[in-house]
Amino acid sequence: MTTAPRLEMTEVVKTFGPVRALDAVSLQVGAREVHGLLGGNGAGKTTLMNVLFGLYRADSGAVRIDGREVTITSPRDAIELGVGMVHQTFLQVDTYTVVENVVLGTTLEGGSHGAGLSAARARIADISERFGLHVDPDAVMEELPVGIRQRVEIIKALYRGASVLILDEPTTNLTPQEVDALFTSLRTMVAEGMSVILITHKIRETLAVCDKMTVMRDGARVQTLDRAETDADHLAAIMVGESHGTYQAPTVTEAVALGTAPQGTVVGDVPETTFEPGVSVRGMTVRNDHDVELISGFDLEVGKGEIVGFAGVAGNGQVELAEALAGVRPLQSGSITIDDLVLSDRATAQWLDAGVAYVPEDRHRDGILPTSGITENLLLGSHRSARVRKNGLIDWRAARQRAQEAIEKFAIRADSPATRAGDLSGGNIQRVILARAFAHRPRLLVLHNPTRGLDIGSTRFVYEQIREVTAAGCSVVVISEDLDEVIAIADRVIALYQGSHAGEWRSDRVDPYEIGRRMTGLGTSVGGAA
Amino acid sequence: MSTVEQTPPTPGSGGPPSAPAPREHGSGAVTGVAWTVLPYVASVVLAFLVGGLLIQAMGYSAVDALEAVLTSSFDSRFGMVETLHKWVPIVLCAYAFAIPLATGKFNIGAEGQLLLGATGGAAIGITFSDLPAILLLPAMLVAGVLAGALWAGIAAVLLVRFRVNEVLSTVLLNFVSFRLIDWVATSVWPDAGAGHPATTPVGDGARLPLIGEAPGLHSGVLLVLALAVFIAVGMRFTPTGFEMRAVGDNPRASLINGVKTSRLAGAGLVIGGGAAGLAGAIDVAGVQGRMLEGMQSNFLILGIIVGLMARGSMLALPFIAFGIAVLEFGAGTMQLVASVPVEMVLVIEALILLFLLLSDIVRNRLRGAA
Repeated sequence: MTTAPRLEMTEVVKTFGPVRALDAVSLQVGAREVHGLLGGNGAGKTTLMNVLFGLYRADSGAVRIDGREVTITSPRDAIELGVGMVHQTFLQVDTYTVVENVVLGTTLEGGSHGAGLSAARARIADISERFGLHVDPDAVMEELPVGIRQRVEIIKALYRGASVLILDEPTTNLTPQEVDALFTSLRTMVAEGMSVILITHKIRETLAVCDKMTVMRDGARVQTLDRAETDADHLAAIMVGESHGTYQAPTVTEAVALGTAPQGTVVGDVPETTFEPGVSVRGMTVRNDHDVELISGFDLEVGKGEIVGFAGVAGNGQVELAEALAGVRPLQSGSITIDDLVLSDRATAQWLDAGVAYVPEDRHRDGILPTSGITENLLLGSHRSARVRKNGLIDWRAARQRAQEAIEKFAIRADSPATRAGDLSGGNIQRVILARAFAHRPRLLVLHNPTRGLDIGSTRFVYEQIREVTAAGCSVVVISEDLDEVIAIADRVIALYQGSHAGEWRSDRVDPYEIGRRMTGLGTSVGGAA
Repeated sequence: MSTVEQTPPTPGSGGPPSAPAPREHGSGAVTGVAWTVLPYVASVVLAFLVGGLLIQAMGYSAVDALEAVLTSSFDSRFGMVETLHKWVPIVLCAYAFAIPLATGKFNIGAEGQLLLGATGGAAIGITFSDLPAILLLPAMLVAGVLAGALWAGIAAVLLVRFRVNEVLSTVLLNFVSFRLIDWVATSVWPDAGAGHPATTPVGDGARLPLIGEAPGLHSGVLLVLALAVFIAVGMRFTPTGFEMRAVGDNPRASLINGVKTSRLAGAGLVIGGGAAGLAGAIDVAGVQGRMLEGMQSNFLILGIIVGLMARGSMLALPFIAFGIAVLEFGAGTMQLVASVPVEMVLVIEALILLFLLLSDIVRNRLRGAA
């Protein structure tokens, strides 16, 4: 206790209206330390870091850096004090090169052309060399995959002289290989005396790279632990909380949510089963929004009650695949049939009638009517069917009744069926979308990143609902960037790379590293293609 | 290849993204209604206060002026009839704006559509002037609706087929319509004796029957009243009305859930154009007896004001339109009694709308602080 820690936040309070997002949270991060900030969605991790980075202003509390009390009112202040942050969404200029993106907003000594820019380029090359953040400094941003773009963001922070680096859920879109490389870089940084704060909800990651971890729940700090004195089960127990009496070992779903699922071994109790044929896709060809053929000659069979999971890095045709399977995006050629009913070339409404339900990735943009009530949101899609109408007009009384039932059955946290969907939290919005999807009595359910950003309770709920419809014979397609999720819930895992099959595995015989190689377009050596 | 994840702006949801859903406070039907009505009352009061100050500052008597504005509709049968006659085009032009707005489209072409409707109606009324009213009157009104719908239909086709922005096309079509009716009023059926570009009068069978003692109320008012009920019910209870509101709320989510969004947006424009066209035909059949230049008055802007004030409620819209009709009729009396220029009323109307829009911000602040 002789020297002050690199960073010290004391009793930080932040409220949003009536909501207490941070309840007197304290945090200490030493030099040469990777500090994990762990907790479920809405625990307050990102809010706390946004306070540190000057994006939010705390109501009370103090921040000290190297023992000196500081006031941070904007990201500019934070950067000057050596705090850098890499957000989940990157703010980059797509048409600029890596160097231009990194120097954007800084002053170049020696002018903005020639000497100044080449000095900057040299510094960037040095940073990327030192920390293993390999990037071509002259590459144009829009040509780079997400993993590299993230490196650029990290370089950006280091270029500005960050000595405390905050990373917000950095592994969401990365392959296992990229995650390993990132963690190696982080270890190098702390070895050089920096501090890193890693926001995550995955226990496995914190155990892999952190020296210390602080667990948060409901806007409060629960506990800070040393890596040496804890293990996965212990952390999971703290994270989930012990409000329900004694702690029980996490279920498979919780293990997935927490990222503690054992890998490469049998997960859960999925027996080798054969499925009755259900959905059949033949020679499907689909274009993206820019009229580029992204998926060509795609074949897929999904049995009744089978869950097929697609693993892949975002931007490899997931959106196009999901929308084509859901009848939202027209096929250029090929066919999709359910029980010999040909659906391709029909209007979306007819797909819905045939029992195709879609849970889109972007809940706000594609999923809900934000300023309408839950009743209206649940009605959407079945508003033309005879069962919601009386004398030709929509029977709102019955619709409200059904909404009330859905609120209870799906445990949607809302005051009434009239609560606006846009006012709900992410998890509750997803429950509304699921309630609507299941109201169609689906024969084919297409889910895209169904649990992204959800807390453990909601994640578990989603998995339970998927199990329930498969038990009723529904074919399910799960497209997810969360590899753990795909492996744990799917009967079959298909790697998706540039819009095509890049390998297929039974879920009880997978090697995540092999999947990782395939979904980045590498190696076809060993594979367990079935 | 790779796309940066973009968090789309979540329409209607305020507050920081990581904050949990705001807890609903003091719910209950009574407070709900109060929260809805209060901003209207406050906006009207404030607008009159500011308007009164302006009038006073200009050297007139604010009390006399505002009294004239507010009471003249109600202190004579003539006042009430004239107010209702003004209400008809205002409410129809408000529909012309609000129905496309429900699907997220802006129809700024109500005056052109009204003029085309008037022309269509007058064309039938003049050409078949010998027909009995039972045939001529419906034919004329239908012609007005069709002409207005067709005019808006140009913008709708441009929008759906070629993605031409509807604001642009509807505004520009207004200018085309001015030239068109100028030609009709001066070359096709000119009335040389009118002293103003106008067509010859329509046949007697094309005049809406008047109700009650003189000055009579034309029966178009009843027709529009019935239409108002029909529209309110249709928007609320028919699948198409629901789809329109859904598309206005979130077109992507509607599309994914089986709504044919672009077709619906086009349909909204066409229906809106039909409403404005009806306004023109009724004005010919009930008030003017002919088509004349300038009959579009300022109904476009009044329709937009009413449509915005209604905030998507087809139930509230006719009532708000009535309030505006009262102000519009009162404006003339105000000029007579207090010599305040009629434009002052437009200032007050604009102020009401401004305060109403401001009240959203105030209300959100208050809710945030509660």
